[in-house]
Amino acid sequence: MALLRVESGTFSFGDAVIFNGVDLTVSKGETLCLLGPNGCGKTTLIDCILGFYKLDQGRIMIDDKPVNTLSPKQIAQMIAYVPQKHGRHFSFSVLDVLLMGRAPYTTFYGSPDASDIRRAENILDSLGLSHLKHRDYTRLSGGETQLVMIMRALIQETQVIVMDEPTAHLDFKHELIVLETIVRLIKERGLTLVMATHFPNHAFYFENQGIPVQVAFMNQQRVNSAGPPSRALTEKNLESFYHVKTCVINHPVPGKGTIKHIIPIQTNSNHEKIKQGQ
Amino acid sequence: MNPYGFYSFILGSPLMLVLVSIFLGRYPISIAEILTLFASPFTGQDINATHFGIIFYVRVPRVLLGALVGGSLAVSGAAFQGLFRNPLVSSGMLGVSSGAGFGAALALILCNDFFYVYPFSFGFGLVAVFLCFFIGRVTGSTQAITLVLGGVIVGSIFSALISFLKYVADPYDELPAIVFWLMGSLSRAEYTQILMAGIPMALGSAGLMMIRWRLNVLAMGDKEAHALGINVNRNRAFIIVCATLATAGAVCVSGVIGWVGLVVPHMGRMIIGNNNKDLIPVTFSIGATFLVLVDDISRLITTSEMPLGILTSLIGGPFFIYLLKQTKGREW
Repeated sequence: MALLRVESGTFSFGDAVIFNGVDLTVSKGETLCLLGPNGCGKTTLIDCILGFYKLDQGRIMIDDKPVNTLSPKQIAQMIAYVPQKHGRHFSFSVLDVLLMGRAPYTTFYGSPDASDIRRAENILDSLGLSHLKHRDYTRLSGGETQLVMIMRALIQETQVIVMDEPTAHLDFKHELIVLETIVRLIKERGLTLVMATHFPNHAFYFENQGIPVQVAFMNQQRVNSAGPPSRALTEKNLESFYHVKTCVINHPVPGKGTIKHIIPIQTNSNHEKIKQGQ
Repeated sequence: MNPYGFYSFILGSPLMLVLVSIFLGRYPISIAEILTLFASPFTGQDINATHFGIIFYVRVPRVLLGALVGGSLAVSGAAFQGLFRNPLVSSGMLGVSSGAGFGAALALILCNDFFYVYPFSFGFGLVAVFLCFFIGRVTGSTQAITLVLGGVIVGSIFSALISFLKYVADPYDELPAIVFWLMGSLSRAEYTQILMAGIPMALGSAGLMMIRWRLNVLAMGDKEAHALGINVNRNRAFIIVCATLATAGAVCVSGVIGWVGLVVPHMGRMIIGNNNKDLIPVTFSIGATFLVLVDDISRLITTSEMPLGILTSLIGGPFFIYLLKQTKGREW
């Protein structure tokens, strides 16, 4: 069942067309990896899905309701958002930040109550992050901040979570911690996830973990749905999309089965330059 | 601090000071005499009419007005800082203070009567904020940054207009009145003003008190606030209207009192943290306490009262540094 659908979506800032005729379908319990180079419009597409911008043409359906007819509050009860880069201005405690995820369920003049605090504590507990509860969130590391943002999305109790490059700017270990957390949450809670990412290997990572994944390539105002990673992320496709020569390997890991991974070899332009040099 | 202690502290400190302040003043009335005065309805004792007038028509309204003005300026400043995600913003940032100052100066020159100062300054305070919105509209957005820019432009236009009015004002009569009004004072406090200016101040402060938790969410930035289910434009407009009412109400009765709307919120942030749910009430309380205290000092140190705008900075500055040292900027 399609939970989230973009139907021939078109959006432009003034004269600059960002994307045109975009069709996307995400089924319940499925993860969509949206791949594309910097500036291809991934973030704008996500903003449209969140209802922050309105499409010029086409429509976005969430649970069979058009997003543009819903109030921010109704949207926020169905889609949660994990930003790419979070601007931190005031030092709130981690608990205060998590409680903001309850905003779609509070009245205009209300604030979170004891049951909301319990929800936040449960989520901290389930991810083994209770020690962060009273920490000042402006002094957390990048990885910890991202985990807080993911927890804030969880406490919103939505069917869909949209993440905009959740592992950008993270170090080697924290990137994996965030990915492992996402995988765990998808498995435990049956989340539907839309994730924009620069790294095609993330799609393989999810697939290796046994999660239903779809890949979509976004470039030059277009989005192409390419199916599951094994079919989409072939050496040929990667070369035509990224202009990078790659090697997709199948590697048996004891206890994990066979894992797939993309190894970048060289960019096409470099390749040509080297040839010319010879 | 437990919630019970917390609320009794934030309610108690300004109330305490309001009570104490009634006993302070240049005119010598002993504590015993004041207590007799308060007890007279029950004891039926004869009262001194002069003392009665001074206590109930001079000191009480003045102290109440001081508390209301201080609290209103402080919460508006705290709300604007959260809304514009900028700790350097003050209650006057959308041009309310300059607009109100211009209105007051205009009334003093045109009508030469203090009665017209209140409606004129209140009205022009609102006009200034509308102009900011209009400037924001020109660029086709109501983004925070265009509003801030609009505030700077409107503020400087009204400052220039104030200078122009000072330049054309009668230097022996009108000019001093304008200059002293701009320095701020509570000396003209009467019950009618508390009622008239008190309504916008109370409405504005109550509105901010109501929506205070949402200020946290709005401080996350427009996109995140939207994704958290907040109608950003509607909430922002509500906060601006409330803060403007509160500030314009305060400025029109007390003149331009700087510092309170900028630094008192930071005192609150240092004491209680940035969560607006606690910060807004605490800031109101500190603002009220602070202004009543400063006004007490202004009434006591010289026979001719020192303008408040001077004292708020002279007293607030060292206190702020002390607080900074005590808390080492924790939570801030």
